[in-house]
Formats: sequence, C-alpha cells, structure tokens
Amino acid sequence: MNTVNFNDLLKKDFILLDGGMGTMLQKSGLKLGEIPETLNITRPEVVADVHRSYIDSGAQIIATNTFGANSYKMKNSGYTVDELISAAVKNARTACKEKALVALDIGPVGQLLEPAGSLTFDDAYELFKEEIIAGKDADVIFFETFTDLLELKAGVLAAKENSNKPVVASMTFEENGRTFSGVSVASAAITLEGLGVSALGVNCSLGPDELAPIVKEFTIRTSLPVFVKPNAGLPDPNSNTYNVSPLDFAKSMGKIIDFGSVKLIGGCCGTTPEYISALKKVIDTKKFKKAEAKKDTAVCSATTTVEINQPRIIGERINPTGKKLFKQALLNNDIDYILSQAISQVNAGADILDVNVGLPEIDEKEMMVKVIKSLQSVVDVPLQIDSTKPDVIDAALRIYNGKPIINSVNGEEKSLNSVLPLVKKYGASVIGLTLDENGIPKTAEGRFLIAKRIVERANALGIPSKDVYIDCLTLTVSAEQSACRDTLNALRRVKTELGCKTCLGVSNISFGLPNRPLINHIFLTMALEEGLDLPIINPNDELMTGSVRAYKVLANIDKNSTEFIKTYNEVKTETPKITSSHTTLSDAIINGLKGEASSLTEKALESKDAMEIVNGELIPALDKVGAYFESGKIFLPQLIQSANTAQSCFDVIKAHLTKTDSSPVSKGEIILATVKGDIHDIGKNIVKVLLDNYGYTVIDLGRDVAPEVIIETAVKKNIKLIGLSALMTTTLKSMEETIALAKKTPELQNPDGSSKCIFFVGGAVLTADYAEKIGADYYCKDAKESVDTAKKVFGNK
Amino acid sequence: MIKLTEINRAEALRYMGGSKVKMNDSMESLIEVCEKEILENISPKYLYKKISLENSGLIVGNSVKKHLKGCDEAFLICATTGAKTDKLIRSASVTDMAKAVVLDAMASAAVEQICNKIDEIIAKETPGKYLTFRFSPGYGDYPLEIQEKFLSILDAPRKIGLCTTDNSLLTPTKSVTAIMGISDFPLEKQRRGCVICNLNKTCKFRKTGEHCEL
Repeated sequence: MNTVNFNDLLKKDFILLDGGMGTMLQKSGLKLGEIPETLNITRPEVVADVHRSYIDSGAQIIATNTFGANSYKMKNSGYTVDELISAAVKNARTACKEKALVALDIGPVGQLLEPAGSLTFDDAYELFKEEIIAGKDADVIFFETFTDLLELKAGVLAAKENSNKPVVASMTFEENGRTFSGVSVASAAITLEGLGVSALGVNCSLGPDELAPIVKEFTIRTSLPVFVKPNAGLPDPNSNTYNVSPLDFAKSMGKIIDFGSVKLIGGCCGTTPEYISALKKVIDTKKFKKAEAKKDTAVCSATTTVEINQPRIIGERINPTGKKLFKQALLNNDIDYILSQAISQVNAGADILDVNVGLPEIDEKEMMVKVIKSLQSVVDVPLQIDSTKPDVIDAALRIYNGKPIINSVNGEEKSLNSVLPLVKKYGASVIGLTLDENGIPKTAEGRFLIAKRIVERANALGIPSKDVYIDCLTLTVSAEQSACRDTLNALRRVKTELGCKTCLGVSNISFGLPNRPLINHIFLTMALEEGLDLPIINPNDELMTGSVRAYKVLANIDKNSTEFIKTYNEVKTETPKITSSHTTLSDAIINGLKGEASSLTEKALESKDAMEIVNGELIPALDKVGAYFESGKIFLPQLIQSANTAQSCFDVIKAHLTKTDSSPVSKGEIILATVKGDIHDIGKNIVKVLLDNYGYTVIDLGRDVAPEVIIETAVKKNIKLIGLSALMTTTLKSMEETIALAKKTPELQNPDGSSKCIFFVGGAVLTADYAEKIGADYYCKDAKESVDTAKKVFGNK
Repeated sequence: MIKLTEINRAEALRYMGGSKVKMNDSMESLIEVCEKEILENISPKYLYKKISLENSGLIVGNSVKKHLKGCDEAFLICATTGAKTDKLIRSASVTDMAKAVVLDAMASAAVEQICNKIDEIIAKETPGKYLTFRFSPGYGDYPLEIQEKFLSILDAPRKIGLCTTDNSLLTPTKSVTAIMGISDFPLEKQRRGCVICNLNKTCKFRKTGEHCEL
C-alpha cells in the first residue's frame, strides 16, 4: 500500500491524473470488437506499459483498465468480473511502484435504467457492488462518463456501502450543458455532493474549450474539488483522431483551472502521455484557489434545480387525507390517477411536489417506491417525500433521482434519531416540524426553541442549517385566534435568528370558518411577508398560486414582472368551441367535444335515469365511433378522443350517482399488462383508455410485468379477464409464460378443470395463429377488438 | 449534426391508421401541436462506421446474407431521437392518450427521416460505390439480438446514449439500427417490400391496399 493516500493528495494544489486508456490500447494493436478489459489478463504488460507512460509524464493517480468491467458487459468475455478487475488493479499497482495511486475505474453499465430502459436500480447497484468488491485493492474509486444521475447514484451508494474508499464521480455532458438523459450540471453537482463524494466533475464529452462553460457551472454549484478530464478536442468521425494538440490542450486547461476549485485534472479520449506532460508544465505554474460557490439551498430532480432563494410552491395534492378518489386510486393501484394529479399541479405552477401515499390498507413502502419511480418518469419538478416511517423514507431516498426534501422530522428524540441520519446519508433537505413529545408549544418562543434543537442536531450530523426547512405549524384560527400570530412570530425568528428556510401548510388556518379560501389567501400573504419560503398549498387553487405570483412582483423578486406577465398574458389557445344548440350528445362524442358533451350529460341527467343515458346514448355513440374506426373513416387518435369525451360524460354520471347514493357502475374488472421484458406499452395504454370508457374497471399493472405479478393479482382480486401486450418477437415468450403460469395455478382453475382466467392478447408482431398456439383465448388486432372481447366475456350489461 | 425542421406528416398519419382519413378541426390542431412539440424535444443523434464483413460475425441468417450478397464492406448505422421523446410520450399518455398516439407516430416518422438523412451523408462520402438499402435487425430472419453487437461496435451507449435491454429492445425506444452493404458494382434493384417483413400477416397497411414504403 502507498504511504500517501488520496486525502493527502487532496490537500495539494492539484492532482494530475492520466489520459486516455482506449486510445493507447488501440495504438498497441487492440482489434475491432476485442474487449479492452480482457487485455488485463491476456496482455498485462501492454496495460502496465500504458500506466507507466502516464506515471512518467507526471500522473499522480492512474485509473485501472476496467471502464466496462461489469458482469453485463463482460458476459461474453470469457472472464469473471473478479478476474478482470483484480488483474487490472495488479497491473496498475505494478506500474505504480508507489509513485502514484491506483483508482478503480468504473463506467456505466451499458444498459439504460428504468424508466428509459428496463434495468432496475437494484440490479445496477449489484453490478457496481461486484466491481467494487473485486477492486478492493485500489486506493480510490472513480466513476466516469455517466449520463444517468440515478445510475451514478447506484454506483456511489454501492461504493459507500461496500468499501471505505474515497469516491470521485464524473459525468459526461453535451454542449448544451446536459447529459444524454437530460441531467443538468447543477443537479449533478447538488446530488453528488449530497451523497458525500470527495470530488466531482466532468470527463469525456468534448474538448477543453467546449467544456469550459460546463466546468464553470460546476465550480459555481459545488464547494467540493472539481474533476476535469476532457477529450483531445472533437473526433473526426472517419479517422477517429482528435483535433487539439497537447500544447493547446494544456493551454485551454490552464484557463479552466483559473475558474477556481478545479483540482483533479487529466485527459480522456484521444489524450496521450504527451498531453499529460504538457498539462504538468501548466499546473506547475499555478496555485489552487477556491471558486465562489452559490450559498443558497437548492433541491433538484435530475433535470431541474429549484433554488430556495424566493417563495417556491410545494403542491400538496398527492395525499390521500380527506380525498376519496385518491384513496380509491391507491387501493386500486391506479398510478395514472396519481400521475395526472402531479401533472395538473405542475401545470398550475407547483415548483415542488409533496408525495404522501400513506394508507393503512396498503404497503406504504412498496407504493411510495412505485409512485416516486413513476413520477420521475413524467414530471421534472423535485419531489418531497412525505412519510413518518423511516423505512419508507429510506426506500424512497434510495431510488430518488436528485436531491429531495424529506417531510419530516420533529423535535422528538425518536424522530431526530431515525430521520436525520437518513437525511445526511442521502444528502437530502428536511422539513423540521416545531413539535415534540409534549406536543405543539403554544408560544412562538417554544416553537423557536424546538426549531433550534432540530437545527443543532442536524448540524451535529453534518447537515448544514440551510438544508433544514422549519415548519412553525399552522393552527386553526377558529379554535384559537391568537395562534396565527404565534406561528408567524416563530417563523420570523427562525428565519432571522437560525438562518433557516421556512415552510408552512396553509389551509389548516381556516378550518371551521365560512369562506375558507379568503382566510387562506390572506394568511398566505401575511406569511410570505414574514418570510415564508415554501408554502405547501393546492396549486390548482388559482387564488393561492396567484397570490404567490403577485407577492413576488410586489416584493421585487419577480424582476420586471416577467414571470407574472408571462403567466397572465398568455392567450390560451384552445380549439374554438363549436356551440351549436343542435349538437346532440352522440354528435359531441363522435366529434370529441369534451366540454359540450359533459354539459349535455348534465342536462340529460335532469330528465333521464343515469343508466338510460349510458346504455341509450353513450355506449351507442362509442359503438358508432368504433364502427367508423373499423371501416377506416376515422383514425386512432380520433377514436381515443371520442373515448375520452365519453369518459368525461361517465365522470359526470359517476359524480351524480355518488350524490344520489347509487353505487357506481362497473361492468367488470380487467387486468392489463405489457409483459416482462417489454417496455413498449403505448398499445396497452390505448386499450386501457377504451376499456375505461366503456365502463370496465381496468387494473393496469404497467409494463415489463413479471408473470408472477400478473397471476398473483388475478388470484387476489379474483379476475376473470386478463389482457397482455407485447410488441417484439423477443418478448412474446413472456406472454406464453404468463398464460402457462395461469394454467398451472390451482386457484385459477374451475372444479371441472377449465381455467377461470380468460386471456386476450395483442401486439404488432402477434398473429391469431400464434395467439392460439400460446393458449390465449382471444387475439385482438386493435383496441376496438379488445372492447368487443370484453363485451363477449362479461355480456352486454 | 442533423436537424429536422418538419415531420413527414403523411408518414406519421399512416402510422396512426391511414392517410385516407378525413380529419376534423380538433385533430388538425392536435397534429399541429404535436409536430411542434416533437421538433422542440427531439435531439437527433447518429453514428455510422464502415466495417469489413469478413469474420465480422454480423452475417446471421439468410435474409441479411442475401441482402449483402456481393458486398465485402458495409456501413453500420444507428440513430435515435433521444431520451426526451420517450418522456414526452409517456407524460402525454397519462393526460391525453390521443395526443400520446400522435406524438408516438410523429417520433417514429422522425427517426425514419433521420435515417434518410444519414443515407444521404453516407452516399456523399462513398462516391463511385453502390449501396444497398438499410437492412435492420428484425427484418426477415435477421435476429434482433444482433443489435447489441451493432451498438458495441459503434460504441453507441457511450457516444450517443443508445443501448439495448436484455430483450434486445432499443432504448431510447425511437431508435434504429441498420446495416448497408457497399458494392463496387451496380446492385440489382431491391426493395425492402413485404416479403422480408415480420408483420406481413398482420399489417394494417396491406389490408387497405397501402404500403408502408419500407
């Protein structure tokens, strides 16, 4: 082992790294298609020579030849990960002769993580863990060339949980300042710093000149040392040579170093020992200095960073408390409903979304993970993980892609001890509630003291005060009129004396009073003026969201009223409403006129029975649209638009039935799933919309669904009809497996030996013959046929 | 860099179920909106590389063998509209399925357009040679599994973020891989046509007497 360690090196001005490995191996005769990592075993001297040439040029840390040495990429290499990596570390160590440190080099898996691909977070974690254990003899771990922040997070966690080595994390960016998956520099810096890496930055991507603005952004966004390893310029697509000379490279790097905070420097693709020598000459003339980094707290998703330097709206609608439909959605596993709640809040102006899925009847942890994953696949705003259970918080923090807020910790010992360590480990922000074992203190002083205690305890664990957002708790003013003042006084003191950001749930204030919106709105405005940073509100309430927007204008935050004007001046471009008084419900559905159709349904309910409207008008209209579609008179999106219009009519009817206490109508429950291994689910989603609109209850299990999950659900919910989709020939076998499993499952058999479950299947490559062969009961060539099948199975109720 | 300024609407409409359909106003405006969103959100990326076919391990099955008859070299090609397209479609399928279907079709048309532009670039770079049309894994008996090899030779995961799943599906999903033979002699007139297509039994275009123009 070396006498110098990585942390000693960090105290020096600069750490010189090595240059390209692939470039050098190609020069040594690596053949097209040959796996570079196998050279560690087949030609160790070649690899050691490359290392040596970099050390001779002055490199203080060399990276092992293990960029792709994970068991997914190496599956056809003929060697195990352990063999390849331990050989690689040995080669590097031999070359070092204690003159340099050895970095275990780890690159991306080579497969996309969910939701873009099908690799799970846990699978990625296991792949990295294997590499980290195999590289136990290295001095430091380098993660390089990552494009997905969540994948990198899996790697960093695997490193932290399976070794005690320092970790350096680097991503690759395009000229627009984002990675292929859309990760911004700010989000990368904030998230990785939170995860406790020793240095972070950028490698590969572009030449040093093109990387300069990206590096600059890193230096502003982190207080950690910055790592920079550019390519030798841009590649020529044919000759695979790069266009920046060693001298120019070093000169450009000199400018980058002058930004400050840049400490670990080297080269990536196309760079050779000459580049490193030139770089050494430049750093020998320079002194390290630290750049001025942003001091405000911020939270982020992978793509969007929200700085808490002005009031930001936290949307509160993803929460079952007091919401009948939301509860129902959780019980039915209806993730799409939750997602639609998220999208509508974002469109209304939410900056951050609170996520609470706690319901006694469901497994909160499982649901939280599922919902967070799904939310990340459709919205860009950062999330706030809202749960009282540490295991739920932990599970959510693991798979969260970015830096979230935890809602919440409070002054109770139990809470402080269980929640704060998680906040520290994953680098989150946290909401601190000013209550403890003795309840909510009545006085501002009492609440302030709890806040102070929470902040001190956080600081003791290394969580900075800026990442603790204090909630001084809104009490109901009708019960205790002086309480409002106490809350606001505490808020102001927390803000000025503790330097913390503050948040407040607002709507509690008006409980028990008439005209609640008015009270809420004024209270919100008062709190903003006292320094409230994070109002937790219903963003769909325009009065509330508008108050925040207006406040920002009046408080001189929204400069030139730009945001305000943008929001309220934008002319809503809606399709012209055709308001012919002669339109019938049937016409409205056929033409996809939603507003029209709903109001016609409302009108019809005045004189007709609900079921009469459903069976006499809605269904026949849908059938007519279906027939048009079959004969090619309209095309698929039109069919869906009509179906959605019918849905809005059903919604009106459902609301009416709930009011009149009749039970809502479901024509039958159907499971839909895109089978294991397949991620093309648009067809399944279309079928879902249509079945929904025809009055069936769809249990949508999503895509890439294992046979066991489908069968388990069928057993548990006693389901008669199951629809499966698969797009590609390679995934049809999962369809076959699912049907076979159903036939083997005793709970799904009738006493006479026939199957309880009926399967209908669809997908581009499927044929009727094949469907029969794999034991499906119905082959549906399109969404319309799926509805026909459901009608056959459940009868025309 | 390839930049698209419009989407081939006729092609997209065909994906959605036929070009002979009469559209209503709301559909016209939906298509307008979707074209704009797709153009704003795609970031076309591609790679190609000339390779020698001998011992390449890329000739698997009869279809591609026949296709590359007489060629010693070929271009490997891959292209993608980028990761944002998938998110856009996914998000729409929660709020507005009709829109999701239009976006999906438009993105498919876009990736085809990107490929056509690559064809032009390659043709310009290969004067005096004759090129076959783009032949993709999945055509005839050319296995989808070979895509992983394509991407590895092109270094596509690292260079443009294009990967495959365990089941050989491309991710991001609106992506293409293909091989294009290079010949010194004029090639017999080829068409992709329906014979090599795995969908020829279920194809909705064939049923209506149309053609997907593959």
